[in-house]
Amino acid sequence: MTDATLDGGPINDGLGPLHGVYPQDFEAGEVLRFQSTLQPKRFLGLSLRNGLLNIVTLTLYRFWGKTEVRRRVWQGVRLNGDAFEYTGRGKELFIGFLLALVALGLPMLLTVFAIQFGGPAMIAVLYPILYFGLFWLWGFGLFTAFRYMASRTTWRGVRFRLGGSARSYGFKYLGALFLSGLTMGWFWPVAQRGLAEKLWDELRFGDRRIRFRMARAEKVSVYGWYALGWVGTLVGYLVFVIGMVGLFAALGMMDAPEGQPPGLGFTLGIYGMMLVLAPLFLLIWSPFHAAMLRSISAGVTLDGAGFHLDVKAMPLWWLTVSNMAALLLSLGFLTPWVQARTAHFMVSRLTSAGLAHLDLARQAGRGPGSGEGLADAFGFSAI
Amino acid sequence: MKGRFHDGLSARPSTVEVAWIDDGLRFAAEGGQARFWPQVGLKVVREGDQARLSHPSDPDARLVLTEADWLALGGSAAVAVEKRGRVREFRLVAGLAAAGLSVTAFVFWGVPVFAGPLARATPIQMEKDMGRSFDAQMGAMFRRCEGEAGQGVLDELGTRLSMQSDTSFDVRVRAVQAPFVNAFALPGGSVLVTDDLIREAETPDELAAVVAHEVAHIEKRHVMQAVWRSLGVGLLLDAVVGGGTGAGQQAVLLAGQATDLRYGREAELEADERGQALLTAAGMSSQGMAPFFARMHGEGEDKRLATAAEFVSTHPDSARRAQRARAYEKAGAPALTPSEWAAVRASCGAGSKDAVTRLKDRLRRRGDKTPVDQGDQVGQD
Repeated sequence: MTDATLDGGPINDGLGPLHGVYPQDFEAGEVLRFQSTLQPKRFLGLSLRNGLLNIVTLTLYRFWGKTEVRRRVWQGVRLNGDAFEYTGRGKELFIGFLLALVALGLPMLLTVFAIQFGGPAMIAVLYPILYFGLFWLWGFGLFTAFRYMASRTTWRGVRFRLGGSARSYGFKYLGALFLSGLTMGWFWPVAQRGLAEKLWDELRFGDRRIRFRMARAEKVSVYGWYALGWVGTLVGYLVFVIGMVGLFAALGMMDAPEGQPPGLGFTLGIYGMMLVLAPLFLLIWSPFHAAMLRSISAGVTLDGAGFHLDVKAMPLWWLTVSNMAALLLSLGFLTPWVQARTAHFMVSRLTSAGLAHLDLARQAGRGPGSGEGLADAFGFSAI
Repeated sequence: MKGRFHDGLSARPSTVEVAWIDDGLRFAAEGGQARFWPQVGLKVVREGDQARLSHPSDPDARLVLTEADWLALGGSAAVAVEKRGRVREFRLVAGLAAAGLSVTAFVFWGVPVFAGPLARATPIQMEKDMGRSFDAQMGAMFRRCEGEAGQGVLDELGTRLSMQSDTSFDVRVRAVQAPFVNAFALPGGSVLVTDDLIREAETPDELAAVVAHEVAHIEKRHVMQAVWRSLGVGLLLDAVVGGGTGAGQQAVLLAGQATDLRYGREAELEADERGQALLTAAGMSSQGMAPFFARMHGEGEDKRLATAAEFVSTHPDSARRAQRARAYEKAGAPALTPSEWAAVRASCGAGSKDAVTRLKDRLRRRGDKTPVDQGDQVGQD
C-alpha cells in the first residue's frame, strides 16, 4: 500500500472533512503531536563558534556550520515523542556549491565577456535571456534545495522525499513573479499558495504522500490583510517622502546645488529613517504574513490529519523585528540563534487534528547526492 | 534495559531489550533477530532526555534510549564515543583553514603575478573591442568638451608622445567634463582628461606630463593588467565566499580590494618614470610632472585643494612621486605653443574664474558633507 486515499476518518478542525476511503483492515492511525525541545540560548555558543570558524577558514566553513545548525534544530523538534533528524553533510553542501559555481558562474562569466566585447546588439539579445533565465533558475534552485533538505530529513529512521519537477517549479515561479509584477502585487497571495501547493503536494514521508488541499488553504482568508499591507505601504511611502523632504527642508539641507551628490548627513538621515520605518512597514505586513502561514499550513494534510499553525500578527512581527535587530547588531553572527528561536516559535504553535498512518510509511530512496548549490548562490536559505 | 528501535525500513517502532556486551550494543526485539553494534563507529546524539544511537553497519536504523539509560549503559565508552566526533571536526577545521590560507596567498601574490603576462598575452583586437565598450560607457557618464580646436591639440599631443612609445594602440586623447581632477587611460588606447584637471594645470608641461603618464599606462598595458587583476581577485573571492552578505564575507572582499590598490600603486610609479622618458624622447620638457604632483599634494598651496583633488586620492603618495619626478626630470621644449595652450584651456569653457577659486567654491558648497568622488574602476588613472 502506498499512497494517498487513506483517511483516519473525518477531522474536526473547522476546515471541512478530508475525503477518502478508510481501509477497515488497517489499524487506527495516530494523532500528530509536535513538541519543541529547542532552547535558543543554547545556540549562542554555536553562533560564536560558527562565526569565528567562518573567519578563520575564509568563510569555507559555512557549509559545515549550516549543517550543524540544521542538525541541532531538527533534533530539537519532536513528533509523537520522536525527534526529527537531519542527516545532511557539510561536504554535500560544499559539492553542491562547486557544481553551482560551474553551472551558474561559467555562463554568467561568458555572458559578461560577450556583453563587454560584443557591443549593444549582444546586450539586447543576452539581457532578456539572462533576466528571465535567472528568475527561472531561482525557482529551480529553490525546489532543488527543498528536495535536498527533504531527502536529508528523517523521522523514526524514514526519509522524506520531494518528487515533482524542479524545471516546472522554475516556470511556475517565473510566472508567479511576472503576473505579480503585472498586477502590481495583487496576484502574489494566489501565487504564494500555488507555489506552496507545488511543493507540499509532492512531498512524501517515506512512501506516504503528503497532500496540499487548496480548498482548505483558501478557507483562511488572506486578501483583506494583503490589502492592508498594500495600501499601508503606499500611504507609508508617501508619508516617508513628505516627511524626509519636510525634515531636510527644516534643517536647511536641501540647498545642495544641482549636479552635486547629496551630503553625508543627508545619506545618514535617509538610512536612519529607513531603520525607524522598517519595523512599521513590517507591522502593517505582519497580519498578511501570519495569515499566509496559517493558510498554507491549513492546506497541508497527511492521510486524515490536518494542520493548524497558530501564528498571530503581533508575535510574528516581534519575532521578525527582534531577529532583524539581532542580526544587524551582531553583524550576522547570531544567525543560528535566530534560526533556532524561529523554529521554536513555529513548532510550538503547530498542532494537528485527525489521524495519520505514520506506522505504514516505508523507507524512501536516498535522494540527490549534493545539495542546494543554486539556492546558496542566490542567497536563499530556508534555514 | 528497554529501548525503542527503528529498523530504517519502516516507521513502525519496536521495543527492544538493550545491553552493553563485548564493547558494543546488543539488542533484540521480542521474537526478533539480535543485532550487535560495536563501539567503533557508534554515533550518539543527545537532545533533551533522549539519546539517539546509530551505526554505519545499519545506516538507516536508529536506537532511542533515555539519556540516563545510555549514560548508565555505555559508561566510559559513552564519553569516548562523543569525543571521537570532536577530533573529526578539528581535522576538518584545520583542513579548511589551510585551504583558506592557500586562497589568500593566491589572491595576494598569485593573481597579481599572473596579471602581467595575461595582459601581454591578451590579443590587441580583443582589448580594442573591450575599450570600445568601456569608452561608450564613459562617454555616457562624462560628456566630451565642445572646443574642437583644443581637442585637436590634446589629441595631437597624445599622438606625439605615443610615437615615442612601443604600443600597437592608436592613442586618442580627449577632454571631458567631470567634477574632479583626474585623467584615465581606458583599455584599447583612449585617454580621458577632465576639464578640472586642465584648469588645474598651470603650464602646458604639467598637462603633457599627465598625458605622458597615461600613454605609459597604455604602452605597459597596465589597464589590461588591472582588468585581469580585479577580475581574478573578484572572481576568486566571490567564488570562495559565494557572494554572501555576511560580515565575514564582506571582510574577505574588502581585503581583496586592498591587494588591487597595492599593485595599482606600483603601476603608477612605473608610468611616472616611463612618462618622463617619453617626454624627453619627444623633445619635450619633463619638468611639469613634479610641480603638478607637489601642488596636488598641497605643498605650499591651499591644503584644501589637495583634499579635493581626485588625482591624490587614488595616488596617495604624491609627495614621494613629486620627489622622484624631480630627480629624473630633464629640460626640453615646451609641450605646446601659447596659442595651442590657450585652445586647450578653452576647450571645456574655462569660465570666468580661475581654477583655485572654482575649487574653493566647490569646497565651500560641499562643506564637509560630501566625501571626495572615488572615481571610476575601469580606467587606469
